[in-house]
Amino acid sequence: MILINLISLSLLYYLKKSSGAQEFPERLHRYFKYGMIAAGVLIALGISNAPPEILFELLSFVLVGAVIYLMLNTPELVYLKTLAITPLPIVGVKLLEYLVRTISPAIFEIVENYLDAAGVFAFIWAVTMWLNHRKQMKEIEIERIITKEQERQLRQTEEQKSQLELLVAERTSEILSQKEELQHALDHLRATQEQLIQQEKLASLGQLTAGIAHEIKNPLNFVNNFSELSADFLHEISEEMPKIPDSPEKENILDLLENIKSNLAKIRHHGSRADSIVRSMLMHSRGGTGTMDPTDLNALIREYSNLAFHGMRANPNPINVDIQLSLDENLPKIKLNSEDFSRVILNLVKNAFDAMREKLSAKNPEYKAKVEIRTRDLGDKVLIEVEDNGPGVPDQIRDKLLMPFFTTKKGTEGTGLGLSITHDIIKSHEGTLEIKSEEGKFTCFSILLPKSTE
Amino acid sequence: MKILFVDDERDVEDLFRQKFRKEIKSGHLELAFAFSGQEALDLLNSEDPPKFVYVFSDINMPGMSGLELLEEIKSRFPAIQVSMISAYGDQENYDKAMSSGAKGFFTKPVDFEKLKLEIAALTSGK
Repeated sequence: MILINLISLSLLYYLKKSSGAQEFPERLHRYFKYGMIAAGVLIALGISNAPPEILFELLSFVLVGAVIYLMLNTPELVYLKTLAITPLPIVGVKLLEYLVRTISPAIFEIVENYLDAAGVFAFIWAVTMWLNHRKQMKEIEIERIITKEQERQLRQTEEQKSQLELLVAERTSEILSQKEELQHALDHLRATQEQLIQQEKLASLGQLTAGIAHEIKNPLNFVNNFSELSADFLHEISEEMPKIPDSPEKENILDLLENIKSNLAKIRHHGSRADSIVRSMLMHSRGGTGTMDPTDLNALIREYSNLAFHGMRANPNPINVDIQLSLDENLPKIKLNSEDFSRVILNLVKNAFDAMREKLSAKNPEYKAKVEIRTRDLGDKVLIEVEDNGPGVPDQIRDKLLMPFFTTKKGTEGTGLGLSITHDIIKSHEGTLEIKSEEGKFTCFSILLPKSTE
Repeated sequence: MKILFVDDERDVEDLFRQKFRKEIKSGHLELAFAFSGQEALDLLNSEDPPKFVYVFSDINMPGMSGLELLEEIKSRFPAIQVSMISAYGDQENYDKAMSSGAKGFFTKPVDFEKLKLEIAALTSGK
């Protein structure tokens, strides 16, 4: 009977030991402990041959049966099924032997040999099953290791993945910002290209207009000269007329001559208008002649704003205007083509006068026309501002202001070249011209000129 | 006093004749016109020595240009004064004309007052 209890004991011991790898509930541990104690007691009783032997033997079977039952019916131990059924034939044979011997010792003697043989087979079975179990356990262990390794790899992969994701996000934002930059650069490039095309067109247009202007200039000179001459002759005629005696015919002739005189004046007027356009066109397309010399910008502004003012006062429709100069007296000398740049000041100031005349004619008694010209030293650049409190420039035409032949002036007043020439001259000084305006309030032309490095 | 104007525009003749009507009428001035450089040279060559004292020439003309004519006249008839009248008042033409011996340089449109003064100076100088 010791064998049965040893089986119980070793099964329980095995179970207890294997609980290290797999966590068994507390309940099972208690079972294992009590089972082992019971098996130990039964072994001790078996060795001591203490009576009643039959009862202890029965208890031994009950114990081993309970252990096997526990192993087969507990979900946590199901993987040990092979181990559980390993000792089953031995237990069975022993139980049969016990039962037969207990019930009928006579029959036991007859079947003892068979039972021994069965015991041997049961033992072989047990060994086989044990080996089988070992193999299974190894497989499970390998599987467990593989699973663990896979889990580890999975974790690692996950970690790498999150790291990569972080990197990707970083790169994506980098790429996005680069894309934005590129987009910006592209837009800028497009705008520049458009400007270039525009400039190219204007340049060829400039050459064309220069050619046309020259061609027109000659016939125009004839028109002007002959009309002037004819006017002189008419003057002579009117000096001769009193010498002729009066008659109805003479009346008629004098009348007609008056008409011719006024017609000639008109021809002369429109001829000189065309002439000023042609001259502006030529000025526009003329390449940079003249030299860039260090110039006292403030003095130039004083001189030419004054000239513009008196020019305006001497011409038809003079206006009252307050010119304020706030000039930076510490301005160094700037390299300028003073002949060209004086046109810039003249044009801008004249423009301001014309704009304000328009506002004055709107008959607002509160309105006082004022032009302010400022200069300021900005370090590597010089700022020149010409600001008037005229009617302002509507947004939709601000872009067109600098285009040649664009004019808002009515009828015969403007050639549409003034600001275009102004812009060209500023560009030839490597400067920029900017227009700020609020309708009804002010217009401010800001010129930025680089200071010469020499 | 004979003055020659050279210009490929034929209306120049009418214009100048009318402008100097009084001077011509009074006999102070005698005007002649040529419409190309060659024609001007032929005219100058037809008299020996030429009676012309002053030539005003356009620069841009088909065939012989005014500047070529200037050099030609200056080498053949150094006594005759030559002035240029040009629509192109640029530095290059001016310099070339002056270095070739031109007396004056007028830009178109012609300032007749200036031209009359120039001619008057010539008359009084004589």
